[in-house]
Amino acid sequence: MKIVVCIKQVPATNDAKIDPETKRIIREGMKAILNPFDTYAVEEGVQLRDKFGGEVIALSMGPPKAEASLREAISVGVDRAILLSDRAFGGSDTWATSYVLAKAIEKIGDVDLVICGKQAIDGDTAQVGPGIAAHLDWLQATYVMAVEEISSSSIRVKRMHEDGYDICEMSLPAVITVVKDINIPRVPSLKGRLASNKCEIPVWKPDDINADTSKIGLNGSPTRVVKIQPPPPRHTSTKKIEGSSIECAQTLLRELKLRSIV
Amino acid sequence: MIAFTDAERKKYRNIWVVAEILFGEIQPVTYELTGAARTLADLRKSEVWVVVMGSDIEGKLESLFAYGADVAILVDNPGSSGFVDETETKIMKRLIIKYKPEVVICGATTRGRALIPRVSVMTHCGLTADCTGLSIDPENGDLLQTRPAFGGNVMATIRCSNHRPQMATVRPRVMKSPEPDPGRAGRIIKEDMLTSDSEKIKQIIDVFHSTETAYNLADAQIIISGGRGMKGPEGFKLLKQFAQRVGGAAVGASRAAVDSGWIPYAHQVGQTGQTVQTKVYIACGISGQIQHLVGMQSCDLIIAIDKNPDTPMMQIADIAVVGDLFEIIPEIIREIPNL
Amino acid sequence: MIHHIRNKIYHVEVLPPKQDSEKLEKDLEIFSNKYLRVMDSGYCACVTDNAMGLLSFQGTEIIEELDLPVIPEQVMIHLNTFHTKDDLDNILNLCKTKGIMYLLIITGDGSERLPKLHPSDVGATDVESVTSVELLKYINREYPDTFVLGVAFNPYEPEEHELEKMERKIKAGATFIITQPLIERNEIVDRLLEKYPGIPVIVEAWMSRKLHLLSEAVGYEIPENTEFDPISTLKMLHKLYPGCGVYLSLLGFKTQYDLIKDTWV
Ligand SMILES: Cc1cc2nc3c(=O)[nH]c(=O)nc-3n(C[C@H](O)[C@H](O)[C@H](O)COP(=O)(O)OP(=O)(O)OC[C@H]3O[C@@H](n4cnc5c(N)ncnc54)[C@H](O)[C@@H]3O)c2cc1C
Ligand SMILES: Cc1cc2nc3c(=O)[nH]c(=O)nc-3n(C[C@H](O)[C@H](O)[C@H](O)COP(=O)(O)OP(=O)(O)OC[C@H]3O[C@@H](n4cnc5c(N)ncnc54)[C@H](O)[C@@H]3O)c2cc1C
Repeated sequence: MKIVVCIKQVPATNDAKIDPETKRIIREGMKAILNPFDTYAVEEGVQLRDKFGGEVIALSMGPPKAEASLREAISVGVDRAILLSDRAFGGSDTWATSYVLAKAIEKIGDVDLVICGKQAIDGDTAQVGPGIAAHLDWLQATYVMAVEEISSSSIRVKRMHEDGYDICEMSLPAVITVVKDINIPRVPSLKGRLASNKCEIPVWKPDDINADTSKIGLNGSPTRVVKIQPPPPRHTSTKKIEGSSIECAQTLLRELKLRSIV
Repeated sequence: MIAFTDAERKKYRNIWVVAEILFGEIQPVTYELTGAARTLADLRKSEVWVVVMGSDIEGKLESLFAYGADVAILVDNPGSSGFVDETETKIMKRLIIKYKPEVVICGATTRGRALIPRVSVMTHCGLTADCTGLSIDPENGDLLQTRPAFGGNVMATIRCSNHRPQMATVRPRVMKSPEPDPGRAGRIIKEDMLTSDSEKIKQIIDVFHSTETAYNLADAQIIISGGRGMKGPEGFKLLKQFAQRVGGAAVGASRAAVDSGWIPYAHQVGQTGQTVQTKVYIACGISGQIQHLVGMQSCDLIIAIDKNPDTPMMQIADIAVVGDLFEIIPEIIREIPNL
Repeated sequence: MIHHIRNKIYHVEVLPPKQDSEKLEKDLEIFSNKYLRVMDSGYCACVTDNAMGLLSFQGTEIIEELDLPVIPEQVMIHLNTFHTKDDLDNILNLCKTKGIMYLLIITGDGSERLPKLHPSDVGATDVESVTSVELLKYINREYPDTFVLGVAFNPYEPEEHELEKMERKIKAGATFIITQPLIERNEIVDRLLEKYPGIPVIVEAWMSRKLHLLSEAVGYEIPENTEFDPISTLKMLHKLYPGCGVYLSLLGFKTQYDLIKDTWV
């Protein structure tokens, strides 16, 4: 079994500051971490490999420093890693990002399963996983909370929904996106971390994956972020509800109904 | 990607909503989106179409017209055992090519967020996630989509002028549901499923419906949170009951409650727990120390219940209820009809 | 633990390198130097466990990897509830083989990346969440007569709640107490001492000049005092609490270490 885990490096906190002049997000000085949701994807890849054999490869598109997140994946058991990094990839929206990742997966070849996190904590769209599946025209299962069975030709997963869950079986190759309930990601050990520092991580450019340059970066992105601003300020005043408990309950209930909360 | 010409753009008309159907019922988010689509369509002097994929739903389409739809496209799928992403994607792609909508809006639910990204890639369209605001240029039909990113710390405005249709997802309860007008009528267009081969390779083996709070904090729309003021595990039973009555609510907690062993750590909100950004956050017996506030202060509506009116939480709350929560909460639970 | 106090042995906090360190080898060297210096001075090195929820390497794996000497009287490992059961047992077994006997058992700070012990992991049936109390019971049951276990006391939390928890911690087998940092006399600590006269108490001295960090560490606003001087505060704590030991947090090894030599008189 050949498994690819897609991981994204994100700012350590989502407490983004906006430059009042340029109206852009200030990324300098922000510490970068492996997207927390992707640690579950990595762990699932490693566990499946341990059970069924084969290889698990971490794949990330991002700036050169995203290498650190790939090393983190290696330190918890991923076999090897590939970084997609080039100026031409910059500015990719989810359409273009998933195109690039799909091309890289084709290039890796003979991949049975792609695992993504549920979403990235910065872009927050949850669109890249299904996007990869669509570009590859593979089957997909999102919000996966358990892999129940896997064979060389099919996978059976438990998918989370607002109203419960379902069990879905599909043939491989396929893409799954995973939620937190799926496993408990291990924390890198000192030994693993020291060893990961010694690994070579190849960097792939658009040519390496035969990418159509009209489909990557800003050019390849149908969406445009035209404005970034801080959220509107919170309310200016607090509405105080006082009185007997019954009065309080009833006033609050009215407020809840007014806002269709109940 | 090659941008559309003006002439190509003009071929695309009408605002579409993808209906959210669960167990043969149209979900409230569909009506919310239909209302939002109505506003956009009126500005463009065009129509609202709702795509309904599901089984045994034909009799229920009237309600869509009442909420503002002009057309319902019904794709009846009697054999369907559940949500098959690939089948629904193929149907959507076919309908988009056939009818050319200008805008497609879908609920940002687990199903919507699985379906629409796939559709957008297959149809070469831009897709904006979790929009909280939608406005349209009445002249050229460009959609301005506002959405939070970085966990709500940033609002981004996004535009996809070069391509049609323009696609967006919107979370449930973000748009206000309009007042229904039962007299309003509309047309129904029936489309075939045209079964594809994907069913052969993807099967929904089983569907489990659970009313028990299936919500984890990150996915909830409403969080009801308890602190040291809940006094013990019994207090959290009360909150769970409250959460169950308010559909779609999860239970959160302060660290004081978690560290006392009253509720699992997975429920902790704050600096060393989870950061949440829900529509509604109801804090019960939580004083609101900074480590807690950083985890929830970007929620849209904050309600606090505390007997002490002067706590930091009561200061930042939109609604501050002063009183004993052990009297107020049971009273509210009594008054909310059990669903 | 009482002889630590009688022999004026400071407890010196040594922070292990963070997981996201960009210069890990260098950080390991700094750790090793600090640790060895504490051993040489005859003090007790206290290694934290993911303090403030910041992912760090474990004291035990560093001691093992760098082959640092363990003088049983001079090493204390902090252990919190944010581990998997396997990791917990690995740490405890490594402590046992290395001869580390002092453990500070705390509920600890969580984070997105840290696992959390489940009640069933430690055989607890009566709680929803594992706290230091359950962890103490587990260690005493599964590793009898192996460790000397201490617990933390936070005088900035509501007193009644905190004293009630302390009672449960003592019942679960805690035999010494370390307080959160004090910068002046604290009445709640006074009452703690009165309540448990037989139990060694170590007060924490905040050795950083940055009081705002202290507020962050204890969770409640500590009034800013522009005059704050760690060394004179340390001397004052010795006077106020002569029967107590002292834990030095955020001690400056370059600037302060030589100054503390003669403070405990
Ligand atoms: C403020 C802001 C708003 C944005 N809004 C939109 C929008 O509405 N629509 C849109 O199309 N784009 C949008 N983008 C662009 C988008 O963030 C980027 O395209 C990004 O590359 C991927 O999207 P995401 O962060 O939402 O990832 P998600 O789709 O949330 O990520 C899901 C999973 O995909 C995988 N993955 C994601 N990115 C990578 C990567 N670079 N390398 C490897 N694996 C990866 C990971 O497994 C991850 O867990 C926005 C960007 C910003 C800064
Ligand atoms: C490093 C660090 C990280 C931390 N991380 C977090 C974190 O992630 N999340 C977090 O929550 N905390 C965190 N804390 C702890 C935080 O500082 C506070 O100690 C904690 O949030 C207090 O919890 P509380 O509000 O429930 O308790 P309290 O502050 O004791 O508040 C209880 C409230 O309940 C009210 N009350 C009592 N009885 C009733 C009643 N019958 N009816 C109505 N109201 C009543 C009281 O008036 C009071 O306002 C952290 C602390 C530190 C040092």
